[in-house]
Amino acid sequence: MKHSFIDKYSDLDSLIHRLDPRTKFIASLAFIISVVLTPTSNWRAFALHLCLVTSLLIIAKLPPFYVLKRSLVIFPFVLLVAVFIPFLKPGEIAGSYNIWLWQVSVTYAGLLILANVAVKAWLCIFSLILLSATTKLVDLLKGLKQLGIPKVIILILSFMYRYIFVLVDEAMRMRQARDSRSFGGGRLRQLKTLGNMIGTLFIRSYERGESIYAAMLCRGFGDEIRSLRQLGFKRIDASFGVAFGLVIISSAIIFW
Amino acid sequence: MHIPDGFISAPVATVGCVVAGGSVAYAVKATKKKMGEKQIPLMGVLAAFIFAAQMLNFPIAGGTSGHFVGAALAAILLGPWRGILIMTCVLVVQCLVFQDGGLFALGVNILNMGIIASFVAYHIYRGSALFGEGRKRKLIGGGLAAWFSVAIASVACAFELAISGTVPLKIALPAMAGIHALIGIGEGLITAAVLNLIMATRADLLELQKA
Repeated sequence: MKHSFIDKYSDLDSLIHRLDPRTKFIASLAFIISVVLTPTSNWRAFALHLCLVTSLLIIAKLPPFYVLKRSLVIFPFVLLVAVFIPFLKPGEIAGSYNIWLWQVSVTYAGLLILANVAVKAWLCIFSLILLSATTKLVDLLKGLKQLGIPKVIILILSFMYRYIFVLVDEAMRMRQARDSRSFGGGRLRQLKTLGNMIGTLFIRSYERGESIYAAMLCRGFGDEIRSLRQLGFKRIDASFGVAFGLVIISSAIIFW
Repeated sequence: MHIPDGFISAPVATVGCVVAGGSVAYAVKATKKKMGEKQIPLMGVLAAFIFAAQMLNFPIAGGTSGHFVGAALAAILLGPWRGILIMTCVLVVQCLVFQDGGLFALGVNILNMGIIASFVAYHIYRGSALFGEGRKRKLIGGGLAAWFSVAIASVACAFELAISGTVPLKIALPAMAGIHALIGIGEGLITAAVLNLIMATRADLLELQKA
């Protein structure tokens, strides 16, 4: 089965792809924290951040449609906030509507909160897309380990990443089998079937985990996974890091 | 319930990261004491299992579909600390690969869907054992545990959004809790069905949390 859904586009080649995963991770985190800390309605600062992240997305040669589609994950939360807008703080009224017997009025203060939250969320998701679409998860994990994340967590995550493909395949096969044999049925029955599938998947995964450990012992596992690719912090990382940091810090100084 | 970046304020996100970091560090230690090196492949494969199980959708009303969350099942089968460890890995991968949940907000998401969900589910399930050890009671206990884990995690989520000043609590709370009370029904029924199957085929796996 196809697994292109995981780190899609991370095997392209561009300046951003070639950067060290540590540089990219720290830069993304700094960008997100800087966006979250920016005070409400500081539009010029938001515009600067948007320019920065879009130019990086363009340098990374990511298809714009893919980025936009991915960024829709935040939509349910934006909707959640939008629904609450009519109930928000009193203030100058921007418009009011009659929905049935309800007099619903939208205030400027409410709209400002919505715009602010939506812009912040969009900027952050862009930088997260940039990070994950330009870095292979394996490299990112290796970088995180060198940044001080405990080795056990990194090892568990590497195993998880390895077995996601196997188990997703297994789950998809089970789904195909179910779909080709059963034709609807009541909702309760569907849930029960799903429960049985998940239960079977759990038992198989557990047994697989045990046999993996046995296999690791047989082969002399010594709490380290070795791989050929070494991370290297190059000159380009240093210059990228300095330039990126300067833009973010200057935006904070100029616009706050 | 995966909160993206930008919806919670920096102080709330920082507190979330600190609490999540501390709990995960303790979870690693607690798991290591019980399982040693064996935890590495087993936790990894089970985290991948939760991830794969979440891809199996089931239809809800009106053409929408829901999916299984799994925190309650992991906590019931393996105990709260291993549950936290597994859910943390799932959330990290969802954040870094699918942008499901923010990076700065990761701590808060781990707090809601990992720590709170695992502890609530585990203690309700264990508590329900006080009323008897019958098969039916265990299934009902498991279902209730899963329902509460989803509902209480959503309440925590509403509080975090309210403290951040994004939405007022008196509206966020009923909305989040209401939606998730419905989602929780599916989660509860599936969890009970999973436990039913495991009891019938590999009852020894139900005793894992004690080991």
